[in-house]
Order: sequence, then structure tokens, then C-alpha cells
Amino acid sequence: MSLLIRRQIPIALVFITALLIMMDYFLKLPPLDARGVSWTSPVVKDLQNWGVILTAFALGFGAVNLFILHSRHISRRTVKQWPFSVWLLLMIILFTVVGVSYGATSPEYSWLYNSSYFALSATVYSSLGFYMTSGIYRALRARNVDAVILLVTGGIALLKNAPAVAVNAPFVVSIDSWLNAIPTTSAMRGIMISAALGAIALGIRTMTGKETGFLGRLTEAEKGG
Amino acid sequence: MFGKIGDSMLISGRIFALGMLIAIWIFVLVSMEQAKKKIPTFRKMAGLDAIPEMVGRAAEMNKPIHFTTGLGDLTSTVAPQLVAGLSVLGYVSELAAKAGAKVIYSVYQAQVMPIATEIMKDAYVRAGKPEEFDVETQIRYLSGEQFAYASAVQGIAERERPAANIMIGPFYAESMLFSETFFRIGAIQLAGTARGYQIPFFAVVCDYLLIAEEIYAAGAYLSKDPIQVGSIRGQDVGKMIAIILIVLGVIALAAGSKIVLDLLKA
Repeated sequence: MSLLIRRQIPIALVFITALLIMMDYFLKLPPLDARGVSWTSPVVKDLQNWGVILTAFALGFGAVNLFILHSRHISRRTVKQWPFSVWLLLMIILFTVVGVSYGATSPEYSWLYNSSYFALSATVYSSLGFYMTSGIYRALRARNVDAVILLVTGGIALLKNAPAVAVNAPFVVSIDSWLNAIPTTSAMRGIMISAALGAIALGIRTMTGKETGFLGRLTEAEKGG
Repeated sequence: MFGKIGDSMLISGRIFALGMLIAIWIFVLVSMEQAKKKIPTFRKMAGLDAIPEMVGRAAEMNKPIHFTTGLGDLTSTVAPQLVAGLSVLGYVSELAAKAGAKVIYSVYQAQVMPIATEIMKDAYVRAGKPEEFDVETQIRYLSGEQFAYASAVQGIAERERPAANIMIGPFYAESMLFSETFFRIGAIQLAGTARGYQIPFFAVVCDYLLIAEEIYAAGAYLSKDPIQVGSIRGQDVGKMIAIILIVLGVIALAAGSKIVLDLLKA
């Protein structure tokens, strides 16, 4: 029974679901409806809706996790943590009350969201500039050949974005354009192709029950060969 | 007859892709069968080989290991990256449980929590220490909003000072925020993503890096299961086909023919 629940049923569900979605993408299988849509399309749409419903349920699970974890911090007065936990729980309650009372698209809820999270989110995003600067400062040291290439290309990209250089030395812009269009694009496409092939191989392993990482790493008996 | 079936069933513009998918599927299955007789050799992946060292370091320093799968969910095109990350989570959790180190898994999408709970619980059971697994403190749902999640991870880094940080999955703008913050607190870092634009950020800051396809191979690599490893060989055949098509396409276009281009668009 354990083997059936832990291995065979999840793998069968993954296989059937993935097969249906692939069939819907690649094939127009009869019988077709009046609009010429394959029978698989409404089935796949239903599956996607189930996914949305499951996600909504999982959000409740996440909220419970947040409340348990941060209530513990508050009751134990965890150093450097518990005031943030109080604030977090207060905000969850405030957003929930306003959202349920006025609706998630109401001006009240939008004001609360825009004046708190939206502003903070933009702040965190802008701080990225400082993190990138400190990261690139360490990276642009000519320690070996790779680092020298990075230093030179990084330098060209920086110069190209400086207006004075772009105006007075237009060849820098041409070099930067060539670097972007040829070496960078070809490398990115190589990465994209290999990633797509890797994802297909992972998908095949998962569908055939050979990759069991998402089920927890099963015992030898449960793997069954 | 076949023409009529083909016309009615196959969707134009996706025929070549379907053919390639079937071909790669066959190559992968054949490679897995061959691997039962002879295990293929494959190159070492330094990032994955370093995981035991990272876990050991955390145990010695009595500090936790931070793990996250980025902005992955199970219903979009980045789902394979998330599945790849979860495969590594099980391995890391088992090693950590054996070594007596604590793993903190930061969650962005709540739908991942039940799966992660099962994976980590299983890992602790396999390590013979099921009682040491504390789901509420080890699997933390942070937020479904990108920068709220990013700030929360940074908060964990600053407050709990993990000795190691493992990030495998789809990452966006938060990649640099994470890698720099964990670098500053002295954590040893392993990062892996198939999102091309974030790879350079990880490359300049993290100690170990898994690039694109390597994250998908991670589960197979760590399992040491010959059948799973065999599938990587099948994937390499697909890569060779892609290279051949690229070369043929370049030659054909240079000669003024669009035959390969038309084939890809079929």
C-alpha cells in the first residue's frame, strides 16, 4: 500500500497529466468541437484550474506556517527577531481585514498596498545597484585569463554607457554592439538550448518514474528498479 | 491516408518540435537501458561534489545551511528548475541530518511547502533522526511577492548567519541581493539556475556554480543511479543534433538556401 501511495500513484498522475498537456500542445486530436478545438483543450484547462485551486489552498498552509513560526519568536522573545515578527503578524491581519472588508481591488486596499509594500519593494529593487557595484568590484580583478576577459568586456560596457565616451569615441559603441550581438548572444543561445534539453531529459525521467527527487529520495525497495 | 491524418492532427509550426521531442525521448530511453549494462562516465561537477564539504562546515561551525529554490512554482515554465532544486534539497537535508546541521528552506510559493515537507521529512527518516525535523522552523514560507521574499531571505542571512547557502532554481533580480548578502556574512555558496541573465551574477559572487542543464542533471548526478545517469547521455545526443542543425543551417543560409530554417518552422 505504501509503495502504491508513495510511488506508483504520484508517478501515474505525473505521467497522465504531462502527456495530456503535451498532446494538447502538439496535436489536434479528434473529436473536435464546433470551433475546431481538440477534446484535450478543455481537459488541460480544467487541470490548470485545479492547479490554481490547489495553490489557493497552499496559501492557507503558508499563512499558518507564518503564524506558528512568528508566534514562537514572539513568545520566546527571540533576540533581533521578535519585534519584526510582531510587525509582520500585524500587517498580515491589517491587509486581511482591509482586503476582506473592502475588496482586493478597492481604493482602500490599493492605497495600503501602494503606500507600504509597493514603496518598500521599489526600495529593495533600487538597492540592487549597490550590491551589483560591490560584486563587480571584486569580479573585475585581473587574476587569470577569464577575469581579464571579464574586466575588458565589462570596461567596454561601462564606457559605452557613459555619454561622454559614446559621443567622443563612437567605436566603443560599435565594439559593445558586436560583443552583445555575437559572443554574448551565441553563448546565451547555447545555454538556452542545453537548458531546454536538460529540462526535456528531466521531464522524461520524471514521467517514467526514474527521477524520484520530487517524491523524496525513495528507498531501494520503493524505487523498484 | 497518412497525409490526411497528419493534416488534421498535427499543428502547423510544431511538427518539427514534436519530432525532436520524440527523437530525444527515444535517445534518453535507449541510453537508460544501455546504462543498466555499462554505467557511462561523466565529468565531475565541482558544485555538487562540494555539498558534503558545505554541510560539514556548517555542522562544525554549529550554524545552519540555507536553501532556496528561488521564484519557482509548479505550474509555469520554470517548474523543471524547481523540481531540479527540490531533488538537491532531499540530498542536502539527509547529509545535514546525519551531520547534525540544520537546513532552513526558504519558500516563495506556498504550493511547494507540502512537497518540501515530504522531501525533508523523508531525508530525516533516512538519516535515522526523524525527531530532529522541525517543519515550522526549517521550512519557512516567506512571501509570494518577489522583494518581500528577497528581504526576508536577507533577514535570515543577517540574523541567523548560515554557514552555507544553496540556491538552485529560477532566480530573477534577487539573485545578486542573495549572493552578495550571503557573501558578506561569510557563507560558502552554491548557486544554479537556467535563467541565462542571472548566471553572470552568480558566477562573479558564488563559490560554486551550476549552469543551466547542470541543475537538471543534479538529481541524477547525486542519486548515483546508473539509469538516471544514463539519461544524461541521451540528452547529450540531443545536444549533438542541435549543433549539427546549427552548422547545417549556417552553411545552408550562406549558400542562399532556407531549407533548415523552413524545417525548423515546420
